[in-house]
Parts: sequence; C-alpha cells; structure tokens
Amino acid sequence: MSSDSTVSAGGAMKRDRRMKLPAPNALVGGTLIAILLAAAGTGALWTPYDPLKLSFREKLAAPSALHWLGTDEFGRDVLSRLMAGAATSVWISILTVTLAVVMGTAIGLVSGYLRGWADRVIMAFNDALLAFPGILLALGLLAVLGANKYGIIVALGIAYTPSVARVVRGTVLSLREREFIAASRVMGNGEGFTMLRHILPNCIAPLTVLATSMFGYVLLAESALSFLGLGVPPPAPTWGNMLAGSRPYIDQAAWLGIFPGLCISLTLLGINLLGDALRDKLDPRMRGAR
Amino acid sequence: MTTTAPLLDVAHLTLTIGTAGRRVVDDVSFQVFPGEIVGIVGESGSGKTLAARAVMGFVPPAVRLAGGSIRFEGRDVMAMSGKELRAMRGAKVGMVFQEPMTSLNPSMLIGRQLDEGLALHRGLDAPARRALILDMLERVGIRDPEGALDAYPHQFSGGMRQRIMLASVMLLKPALLLADEPTTALDAVVQRDVMELMVELTQANDTAVLLISHDLGMVARYCSRIVVMCRGEVVEQGTAEDILARPRHPYTRKLLAAMPQRLPARFLPQGETPIVAVRDLVVDYPGRQGFFRRSAPKRALHGISIAVQPGEVVAVVGGSGSGKTTLGQSIAGLVKPAGGEILFNGKPIAKSDTAYWDYRLNCQMVFQDPYSSLDPRMTIRQLVGEPLRLVEDMDASARQARIAEVLAEVGLSDGFAERFPHELSGGQRQRVAIARAIVRRPSFVIADEPVSALDVTVRAQVLALFDELQKKHGFSCLFISHDLGVVEQVADRVVVMQDGRIVEEGPRDAIFDAPRHPYTRKLLSAVPGLEATGDGGVRLFWRLGEGEATAPA
Repeated sequence: MSSDSTVSAGGAMKRDRRMKLPAPNALVGGTLIAILLAAAGTGALWTPYDPLKLSFREKLAAPSALHWLGTDEFGRDVLSRLMAGAATSVWISILTVTLAVVMGTAIGLVSGYLRGWADRVIMAFNDALLAFPGILLALGLLAVLGANKYGIIVALGIAYTPSVARVVRGTVLSLREREFIAASRVMGNGEGFTMLRHILPNCIAPLTVLATSMFGYVLLAESALSFLGLGVPPPAPTWGNMLAGSRPYIDQAAWLGIFPGLCISLTLLGINLLGDALRDKLDPRMRGAR
Repeated sequence: MTTTAPLLDVAHLTLTIGTAGRRVVDDVSFQVFPGEIVGIVGESGSGKTLAARAVMGFVPPAVRLAGGSIRFEGRDVMAMSGKELRAMRGAKVGMVFQEPMTSLNPSMLIGRQLDEGLALHRGLDAPARRALILDMLERVGIRDPEGALDAYPHQFSGGMRQRIMLASVMLLKPALLLADEPTTALDAVVQRDVMELMVELTQANDTAVLLISHDLGMVARYCSRIVVMCRGEVVEQGTAEDILARPRHPYTRKLLAAMPQRLPARFLPQGETPIVAVRDLVVDYPGRQGFFRRSAPKRALHGISIAVQPGEVVAVVGGSGSGKTTLGQSIAGLVKPAGGEILFNGKPIAKSDTAYWDYRLNCQMVFQDPYSSLDPRMTIRQLVGEPLRLVEDMDASARQARIAEVLAEVGLSDGFAERFPHELSGGQRQRVAIARAIVRRPSFVIADEPVSALDVTVRAQVLALFDELQKKHGFSCLFISHDLGVVEQVADRVVVMQDGRIVEEGPRDAIFDAPRHPYTRKLLSAVPGLEATGDGGVRLFWRLGEGEATAPA
C-alpha cells in the first residue's frame, strides 16, 4: 500500500499541473507552428534576398553572416528560399485541407444521415478510394491534372477527402442516437435543420483534430511530390524540391539538404504535438468530465 | 452480537483527492460484525463507494489515505503487502459490482470465469472444482448449469449475469461480501429476486454483507444496521428501525421525505373527447439487414389502445422490454407505426397536414437522460428557445419574454440562460429539458423516465416541479416509468404493459391496492411501500404478502 500511495501522489500532481499550465505538448507544438506561420507569412511578403535571383559567384557558399543558411548550386540564398517555400507549402496545405474537409464533411453528413442504400453506395466508393495510399492516389490524379500548384491542391484534396468522410459519418451515426436529435424531431424541426443546427456543430471537435493532423500529412505529401518532381515546378522554391535539388551536393554542401529536412521534421513534430493537445482538449469524454 | 470482535472495523477513515487534499471520505467509522448485513446509503458524491472499495485496497490512483484505519479480522488492510491483499481479495472479501453487463469478461466462458477464483484460492483438483461450480450455479437459479459452463456472458440477461456474478463470489465462501449497488441496473421485478438470493446465500454461509446503495427502501428492507453518508461524512448510523422511524439528522429526514408517497386522488372530469387517443397501435422493428438477406421484423407493440383525457397524467409501467418506451416514441412520432392510428382532439393526425402540425406543436417530450438530451454546443437560452422557432406570430421580444418566464418557472432564472449544459448538474439539466418541453405551452407531454437518472433528493425536487407545472398549465401527460414509487406519486391512471401488450389498466388506487393481473402483482411485490408516520419517520411495508415473492424467471 505504501508504494501505491507514492505512485498515486505522482499521478495526482501530474493531473493538477495539466489543469493550470497548458500541456507541454501544446506549448512546444504551438511554438513550432507559430514559428512556421510567422516564417510563411513573412516569406510571402518579404525575404532577405530574392529567392529566385541567381548569383554564380556565390554558389554553394557555406552559412555565413551574409547568407545565414548558405546558398545553393545557383547561388540563391537558402534562408530566403526556405521562407518563400514555407509560404507556398502552408498555402497549399491550407487550401488542400479546406477542400478535403468541405467535401468530406458534405459526403459524411449526407451518408450518415440518409443511411440505408445511399449510405452503402457512398461508403463503398469512399472505401475504395481509402484503399489507395493517399500519395499514390495523388500521383495518379496529378498525372491527369498536370503538375502545378492547383493540380496538387485538387489531387491531394481528393486523396484526403475519404478519411474526412469516414470520420464525419462515424460522428453523425453516433450523434443520431443521442436524445437531443430525437428532441429536435419532436419539436417539429425538419431533417435538414436538425442536421445543420445540431449535428454539424457537434462534428467540429473531431474535425478540428483531424484537420490539424491532416495539415501535417499534406505538407509532407506535398514535399514528397515536389521531391519526385511532380510538385510545384522549379524555379519556384518548395521544401520538397529544395530537398530534391540538394541530393547531388550532399558531400560538398550538406546544409542544402539539412535545413529543408529540418524544417519539414520540426513542422511535422509541431503539428503532431498540437494535434495531440487538441484531441485531449476537445475530446467530449474529457470535456464532459466533472 | 456485540460481544464478538468486529469482522470489519473502519475507524476515522479519511481519504483525500488531489494535491489540494479535498476530503472525499472524511472521518468515517463503522463496523461490520460476522454474518451481519450493513447498508451504506448516500447519494452520488457521498463517498460511499470509495469508502467501501478502500476496504479491499481498491482506490483510484489520485486518492490518498490521509488518516484512520481499516481493520479486517483484526489486521490493518492499509499496511498489507500486495501479496497479502491479493490473498484477502476473493478468498476473504468478495465483491459484486453494479453493472452485470461489464463485470464479467465477455470473451471468457462462464465455467472458466467461475473456475478462476477457485483455482487461485483453493487447492482443489479440477473435478472437485467443477462439482462445486455446478452446485453453486444450481443454487443461484441457473436452469441448465452444465450448459452454462460452456456459455458466454452475453447469452444471459442482466439478472442472470448478476446471479452468475454472485455465484462466482460466493463459491469462495468469503467472510465479507461488498455489494456496490448490486441491483440498480436491473429491472424492478428482477431486483427483488437477486436481493433475496443474495441474502439467502450469504446467510447460509454466515457471510457478512456491506451493501452500498442509494435506495433507502431497499437497504432498510434487508439490512440490520444502516450508515447514512453525505458529502464524505457519516451523518447518522443505527439500526434500520431507528433510522426509518426516528431519523435524527436533517439529511436522513430529507432522504426519507424524498421517497415518493401517494397523494390523495384528484378528481378529473371524464367523458370528454380524449386529448390523445391511440387505437390498435402496432410497431415492428426491422430485423437485422444484410446485403442479401433480411431477418423477420420483431413486433414491439401488439395493437395498443390508450386514451389520455385533458389534464390527466397516465403512467405506463412495465419492466424492460415491455414496450413502454416504444409506445412513447411512436406516440411522439419518433417511431413509425406499422398499423393503428393516433387521434389528437378526436382527429386522426395521419389524415391531414394541418392535424399533424397541430399535434406536432402541441405534443412535446422529456427524455430520460439529461446528459444526452441537450445539445452540448447550445446555451440554455438557445435550447429552451428552440421550440419557439416554429411558433408563428411570435416576435423576438415575445420569445425572449417567454424563455425568461419558463426558466423562472423551472427555477433556473438567475444567470443560467447563458450557460452550457455541461456546466449544470443532472437535476438542473432535467429542469432545462422540462423547460424546453413546456415552452410552447403544449397540451400533451410525454415523459420517458424523466427522473430515473437522478439522485433521490434531486428526483423528489424535479418530480415536485413537474407536478406543480402540470397542475399550473394543465397539460396532459403520458408518464413512462419503471419506478412504481414515482408512478404512485404522480399518476391519475396507470397502464401496465408486458411484452408489448397492455395487461391491466385502471385508476391509480385500484391498481396499487387491488391489482388483478399476475404481472401487476409481481411488479408491486418487488417494491416496498412507505407510509409517513408523521414525525419525520416512515414505516416500510411490502405491498403484497411475503408469500408472493417471486420465483426466478
């Protein structure tokens, strides 16, 4: 029993600290994402150097006071390119996630609310799409849509729609059985009104969590596509094509690969931590606890 | 009895939670003597479960022992090592939990689950254990003990599972049985059977019982001594007769006063057109659907006819599976009937749109679970105001005035309007649900178990509120409940249902005093009645003779 009580004391302290300060994962994740958004925001408007300006005299320069993160094989400033790339990547990710969430929510709501045959047909189609890895599906779609910024957004948007549809449908199905939905029907509200007034707002918590983690996946997928040469065409910088471009110089100018790689890793870490923190906060089971 | 040493001696037990050290069990002392049945009564949050679990050394990780001692057979439980605790659990102290659906492992055969404890604590060989198990299963009333060994828990009903749970605990012949709300999750009819079985088995083995319950009536019926707990403290303890007849502490008096009692019958003018009439209502539930086959639908209601007069409260009672909830839902329009018709003010609602809308706006419902019947993302004002959206010719200021008026009526006027449901207690939420149901001034309200999810004293308050509002606004009510005590307090007329059919109906006093149908008699025999003695105490009686105690179903 004595060992039990020391363990429980530790547990109690941990719980109390979480009530007062934001959870450490929220703090670290939030900071990383704040840095990313600041860099992207700045990069869209201003960069230390023109990210596209060639300067062969300075090519493959190591990090220095002039070029903080060095220069690439054409003498372009790596920091400027990373900032401009962040702007492109974040913008693409935001649009993609928005597209996937809007389409997925619409499909999930309709499917979950109609049930029966409509649900089966929609979900069979959805599951067929879900069976392909997102990146593979996006690759195929890109071949059709053409490799450019909007092609990527649409391709990745479609690739990530099925998982949103699944989550929303699941939430709708569980919400439907709750008594407040029956209460809404007894009141005389129509099906459409009930769906928009009572079901949709209650899907927001799981959707927020999903969208956060999806933002990370999309960022990674976009980098991967750029790495494969199917993303935003050069010379416009993205983290993926910067990483791809660094490969031949890995022995002479390691910073060319390290910095974009570090950016991708830290951003994903930040998003995952923030996603965890959001899930803890928004999970209805934690919220309802008194 | 007091000459022997106590089996369990809890002295000044104090448990705290969190670093702030909030006392959830505060200076609690009680004793249990060998073979005795002691009840701990209290509402949720009273610390009764925590205090009892501490006896077994089961406390949640955040809870710490801050003082006092628990001695079992003279030994300090708190000082026991993990090994000693394990040797005590099961063999010396058994426990029966509230939820029979989750206390048995669903993936294990009954035989293996029962064998587990025996094999662990008793050095018997397999055939001897099997014989013991079969004997015990037969004693707890399992019809086919041999077959039960190779069955899974889901093949049994809740009552049967609780019997099996009891069997698994009593197999080890413990000196003390902790029973935490053992029958709360069960039907009224089954409740009494399981309780009687528990008492019979423990008496035969000379096992003492610590019975934890919120149900004072049930505890008083079976226990020799009662401990009343409130907010972590013992407010009163004594013999069952003393507590019931001569309660000293105000909280005990409050608990006793909260127990439903019959009020004089009301006079209601009869013979008018019923406000709601149901004729030959048939409801089928679709069978399980697969891609290629569909099993036969299951009939939930076999042609129910019922009429509710203006201003009348009609109670529908029955056990689980009797179809009472389905009846309420189909009258509310939530379940599509397969046959029959519903008449509102004499007009069939299915015939015309205007009749349907007239009914829709005038029929409201209060649901059982206040935690799921309110949209968690809406404020109380939005929730209560929502039904007014469909009321024509009512402007925004009239709506706000009506919302304020109704919130005041249910006693939630000060500052509740802008709060969210999760900031409210269960009783307050149910008040919101009632406010939402009556905000349109409906002429007919369906209440499906409106108070069964609430604590005893809160239940009494909500019930009184409901009664007051019903008298004030004069709406008719279909009151669905399994709790006969509640029904006795509110109903004018009672309808008894079993297996989707009405077996008996009549004025409340006739049903309660002279039931004719065997099922009604069985329902009534399962719940003790109460009679106020005038000085704050009550007298407990069984409604029907002891001989009518029911045999296992």
